[in-house]
Amino acid sequence: MLLKLIKFAAVCVAFIAGVSHAAAHGERAQEPYLRTRTVQFYDVHFSKTDVKVNERFELTGKFRLMQDWPDAVTPPDIVFLSSISPGPTIARVETYLNGEPARQSFAGLELGRDYEFRMVLEGRTPGSSHIHPSISIKGSGPLVGPGQWVNISGEAHSFAFPIKTMTGLQIEDLQTFGLAHAVGWHLAWLAVAAAWLSFWLARPLILPRWLVLQKGREDLLISLRDTGAGIIVAAIVLVMVFGGYVRASAEYPYNVPLQSGLNRVAPLPASPAYVEIKVISATYDVPGRSMRLATQITNKGSEPLSIGELTTANIRFLNQSLPVAMADVDPSYPRDLIARTGLKLSSDTPINPGETKEVRVEATDAVWELERLVSFLTDVDSKFGGLLLLYAPNGERVIAEMGGPIVPVFTELK
Amino acid sequence: MNPSGEGRVTSTADIDAAASPRENTRFKDKKDETVISVSGLTPSAARYSRLFDVLVVAAVVTIFAGAIHLHVMLTVGDWDMYVDWKDRQYWPLVMPVSMIMFPAALQAIFWVNFRLPIGATVGATVLLIATWIGRYANWWIWTGFPFTEGVPSQALAGALLMDMTLIVLRNSLFTSIIGGFAFGFVFWPSNYSALAPFYLPVEHQGMVASLADMIGYTFPRSNMPEYLRIIERGTLRTFGSSVSWVSAAFAGFICIFMHQLWWRLGLFASQATFLKNSDVVKSFMGIKSSVAS
Amino acid sequence: MSGDALPRRANVTVIKTFDIDYGLFAFAMVALTILYISARLYQQAFGFSMGLDANSPEFDRYWMTLFRIELPVLYGAGVLCWSYLFLTRDRSIETVTPETELRRYFYLAMWLVVYSFCIFWTGSFFADGDGVWHQTTLRDTPLTPSHIILFYATIPIYLFFGVGSFVYAMTRIPAFCRGVSLMHVIAVVGPFLILPNLGFNEWGHAYWLTEEIFSHPLHWGFVVLGWCALALAGVLMQIVERLRELIPLVFKQDAAGSPTDANPFRDASKKCGPEAQRQRYKPTTVSGRRSISGKSK
Repeated sequence: MLLKLIKFAAVCVAFIAGVSHAAAHGERAQEPYLRTRTVQFYDVHFSKTDVKVNERFELTGKFRLMQDWPDAVTPPDIVFLSSISPGPTIARVETYLNGEPARQSFAGLELGRDYEFRMVLEGRTPGSSHIHPSISIKGSGPLVGPGQWVNISGEAHSFAFPIKTMTGLQIEDLQTFGLAHAVGWHLAWLAVAAAWLSFWLARPLILPRWLVLQKGREDLLISLRDTGAGIIVAAIVLVMVFGGYVRASAEYPYNVPLQSGLNRVAPLPASPAYVEIKVISATYDVPGRSMRLATQITNKGSEPLSIGELTTANIRFLNQSLPVAMADVDPSYPRDLIARTGLKLSSDTPINPGETKEVRVEATDAVWELERLVSFLTDVDSKFGGLLLLYAPNGERVIAEMGGPIVPVFTELK
Repeated sequence: MNPSGEGRVTSTADIDAAASPRENTRFKDKKDETVISVSGLTPSAARYSRLFDVLVVAAVVTIFAGAIHLHVMLTVGDWDMYVDWKDRQYWPLVMPVSMIMFPAALQAIFWVNFRLPIGATVGATVLLIATWIGRYANWWIWTGFPFTEGVPSQALAGALLMDMTLIVLRNSLFTSIIGGFAFGFVFWPSNYSALAPFYLPVEHQGMVASLADMIGYTFPRSNMPEYLRIIERGTLRTFGSSVSWVSAAFAGFICIFMHQLWWRLGLFASQATFLKNSDVVKSFMGIKSSVAS
Repeated sequence: MSGDALPRRANVTVIKTFDIDYGLFAFAMVALTILYISARLYQQAFGFSMGLDANSPEFDRYWMTLFRIELPVLYGAGVLCWSYLFLTRDRSIETVTPETELRRYFYLAMWLVVYSFCIFWTGSFFADGDGVWHQTTLRDTPLTPSHIILFYATIPIYLFFGVGSFVYAMTRIPAFCRGVSLMHVIAVVGPFLILPNLGFNEWGHAYWLTEEIFSHPLHWGFVVLGWCALALAGVLMQIVERLRELIPLVFKQDAAGSPTDANPFRDASKKCGPEAQRQRYKPTTVSGRRSISGKSK
């Protein structure tokens, strides 16, 4: 035990001295097929990454529900828009999904469609908090979007969440309102219980009572006075129960039940199917940490299109030779999720309208391993998915889904 | 606690000095003295019996604080843990049905063996104290939820009524029927008194919400999405919309049976049963098989 | 087991002293309180800062290290303690003196108090923390900061005292050696089975319950095993039944009359519990005051 205490003291010192904090919330334990083939977040934007306690900031973005939804994940029939944080270090003020209020869950989101979210959040606990948007799917749990550090400054005790009720009552702080009332009642009940218990515990208890009972002298153990005391306590309890109820009902006549039920929301308008992508082959080179795709891309639109980005599981592989793609990276997007080496293409020339072109795409980075997205060998469903972002000369962006089986290789391909 | 089994004898005084029983025991009440006297315990024996009482109370408080809290957490915990789970349909039903189990068994153990009408109150008291300890240390200090989000329920009103029924009627069957029903039935009104402020209506993003809904929404639980709440889905405005009272009555009905069942379980658990031990094991301690069997 | 009786003893001696040593009991309670609070402070310090991502190096450093230390240390301590209790067993348990036997009953009660104390910290305090932890963070491993304390530290600790109380009783108390206390077994084995049941729990969480509903039926195995705490009532009844026979022998000086008439309980007519299972003990004389090590006192 002494050893443990010493160790504890040692790590406390290390803690105070300042050590790096975890930057993930367990999403790396989720299987790659789950993270690359369900919810693809894009255009995620944090309006601020430095806020004060009680200062608001917005977390906005979009997500695509992939069409090749894996069997292991329940379909998005019941969905809740949320955020992931290390405890309630932030307060949630308002949330919207495609402009609809999102305090409650949504029913029947559609695969292959896009949705836009907006969350108004407020700094609550001082310190650095890693905040992610998340989409929870009933039966499968939260699917996590890209996380960013948000620094909250100020004093914890200065946080308050005022709210006004429909009955006109101005509440200073949602964290404390009603608490004294509830605790007061609990203490009152505990006082009655303590009185009753001490009434008995002060007497001889276990062995003497058992012995007396064995001798058939129950009359010594429960007297008429005890029964009378019981009746008095019962009367007090009944007065407290029903008197308290009547009083509470009179004091709060306009109370409402908890609100339940599912909302419905239409997806964002479908963009015309400008691009079709067929994955001819996909390999993941284990020693090279590289995903290599042979694709056949057909441009069905009227503008030539250049491949600008491959994004999957929040990781972005950018075509660094395409300025418009680089300009599309929000400054607030977490840098650890942008692959440094970018996206390599066998051909950089745009795909002309009506053209079908074979393009080899190579996404190489250690981030595959860091994010634990390489367990294709051990998956029961060795498929991958992702979004390919293509850009027209006028800056218009086309988002296309791609995916299919993936084969791990353990030697570098020639 | 001495693993060697031997106490260090520190006192050589004749502990059974010739003193009157009244002076030697700690009970000043005449009736308590009578109990000691009829039990046949000598003054020094009564003193050690009191020490035994203290040990039993310590064990009862701690083990049932642990066991009942674990039981309630894992059977109906979510309704108790969060204020925005405390609905009118399930909360007044599932909570008392789960909360009555241990108190009923404790009633049987304390009443049948010791004629102590405190079992239910003991169970509900240690549960409430253990719950608040957890709310303070874990909900507030560790994960940072405001106290309002984790206000627990209490079963003390029902437990007290159940003990009072027992002391008046002195019968397990009638305690089940009357006390058990009361336990389930008063859960709703006795907790509503404490939690009524949390059901005040607010308008949020153009929709009605209760303050409880707002508390759950404002202070996010990352792995507890809104849809996980198993709360009221009403279709019919029966009994003038008094759905809570219907739930309370239903809870009382189930509690009748639950009480009787757990009373019997308490009786079963207090059996002083010894099974035959293996001769090999006994021989390690020098007991010859012929003597023991 | 009915009709069991200890051999009659010769050489009546009057016992004038009876005292109990609280040292180890107090030490255990204080040490455990410090240990539990330290574990909770460790969670406070490194739960959110180092424990959110099981795949990170800091998780390995702060949490897996603790896990690798606590398992062998705590189980090792348990095995050592149980072995010690067995090796120092009373090899002539039937000739134990009444006051030694009574003292051992008090020590057994103390073992059970410490066991109960551990059950409180496990079943209430740390289990509660586990609940709120899972609902606050994403589940990503069976070895979360809450589990590493709850399942792999507090459970071995209560096993230490639960199994310890059982070995203590069987190696030192005649009634608990001649017969196996059914309720003592249930009270110890039930909570022990929470560990194997953990396999079911994690299996379920790995494959079909990624979200945290604390009251989900997947968790009910723990509940049923927690019910076994009630069985301590049976142990209590076994203790009081024996105390009523031992106490008159040990404290006979208070009683009027001759030593053989000192038993004020012999007229007890009403019985509790199944008669057939009752251990009967009809002492007439007291002798052979031997300690467990066999040395005369």
